[in-house]
Amino acid sequence: MIILKHVTTDNRLNKLNTISENDENDSIQKALCDVANHQDKKAFEILFKHFSPKIRAFGLQRFRQEAQALELVQETMLLVWRKATLFNAEKGKATTWIYTIMRNHCFDMLRKKMTQKEDQVSDDLWPMLEDEEVIEEDHLLSRNLIAHINSLPKPQRDVVEALYIKELSQPEVASLLKIPLGTVKSRLRLALSKLKTTLEVDHD
Amino acid sequence: MIKHHPNEQLLAQYSSGELAFSLSIAISAHLEMCPQCQQKEQRIVAQQAEQAWDADNVEEANFDDMLQCILATPIEAPKTKTLHKKKANNSVSLEGKTYTLPTAFRSFEQLKWSGFGTINRARVINDEQDVRASLLHIKQGGEIPAHQHKGYELTLLLAGSFSDEHGTYQKGDFILLSGDVKHSPKTEQGCLCYTVQDAPLHFMSGMSKVLNPLGKFIY
Repeated sequence: MIILKHVTTDNRLNKLNTISENDENDSIQKALCDVANHQDKKAFEILFKHFSPKIRAFGLQRFRQEAQALELVQETMLLVWRKATLFNAEKGKATTWIYTIMRNHCFDMLRKKMTQKEDQVSDDLWPMLEDEEVIEEDHLLSRNLIAHINSLPKPQRDVVEALYIKELSQPEVASLLKIPLGTVKSRLRLALSKLKTTLEVDHD
Repeated sequence: MIKHHPNEQLLAQYSSGELAFSLSIAISAHLEMCPQCQQKEQRIVAQQAEQAWDADNVEEANFDDMLQCILATPIEAPKTKTLHKKKANNSVSLEGKTYTLPTAFRSFEQLKWSGFGTINRARVINDEQDVRASLLHIKQGGEIPAHQHKGYELTLLLAGSFSDEHGTYQKGDFILLSGDVKHSPKTEQGCLCYTVQDAPLHFMSGMSKVLNPLGKFIY
């Protein structure tokens, strides 16, 4: 009987652990979105306290040197702070995104150690800290697309108008329309591809 | 249709950032052309992230100064778009054709091409010990004499097609040959490849022994 009891408790504990792991993932995701949307310092503090000891441990494993491990912590967390707006929840988890930022910086540091070169080639190998929409935006804007905006469904039109006519940033649009930043990005993508098709048809 | 892909182990080494730059370029460029491997790599990197963050024995640490210092840095306003505007990829023009190179080649802005018969070559990396990485262009109808490698030879086909004793290869194919394989690639329509090897090639068949210096030239 006693043994059986133990087993039940263990199972429950295991369940609890899985639940708390999911909670942890959710709270990290939320914190990163808060940093992206509102430059929320409290949210960044949560991320920083959670990840910095882990990044240091990872750095020590790779570099076997405290100074370089700390440089990795500093550079990774600084990028997370500055580039949070480029995180897209539709493309993957927040924890994976932060890992890839650390991995990229680690690659450049190792390369610098081996070749004394300071170029940041990781951006070319894993081009993740760039906004793909940007080129399309400029390109489309130059073709007087405002005339076509009215043909878009309302949710997409709202996003496009806020971005181009009110000239708000993507996080500003997210809080104005009370929708997640990822939704702003996806509506924008949909709208742009529709506009593109319309423009192409017009040209034919 | 891409038939030759990097194996799981190479993908894992690439996505953990532990693969040499020369080979990382090849994997990155292959992924850009191969949605199938892209998916694999996304799965691998998600697993690696979980492992990295789950690591045991993490020493608690307090970096309050660092935290304050980061928070004092201005966040990148999404309006300053130029900061993360996608840089354009490099392109090369050879024998009257222009090729856009994959993103992984963006840092090589000034490639120095030199020609020898139907072959044009530009060295890409020479700072990794004993490893040679080059872009190689073979004009239509061109071929490379039969050769064997001292170490592995990696060929990533960036444009066009070529064939050898083992088959025909298309754009995007990632062909890794070990040192004991002998081959003589030919191309009908011409091709552009990225090649990496860990030792100069050995030319073998009778006539081409005369051409042996070519081995050092090509790779």
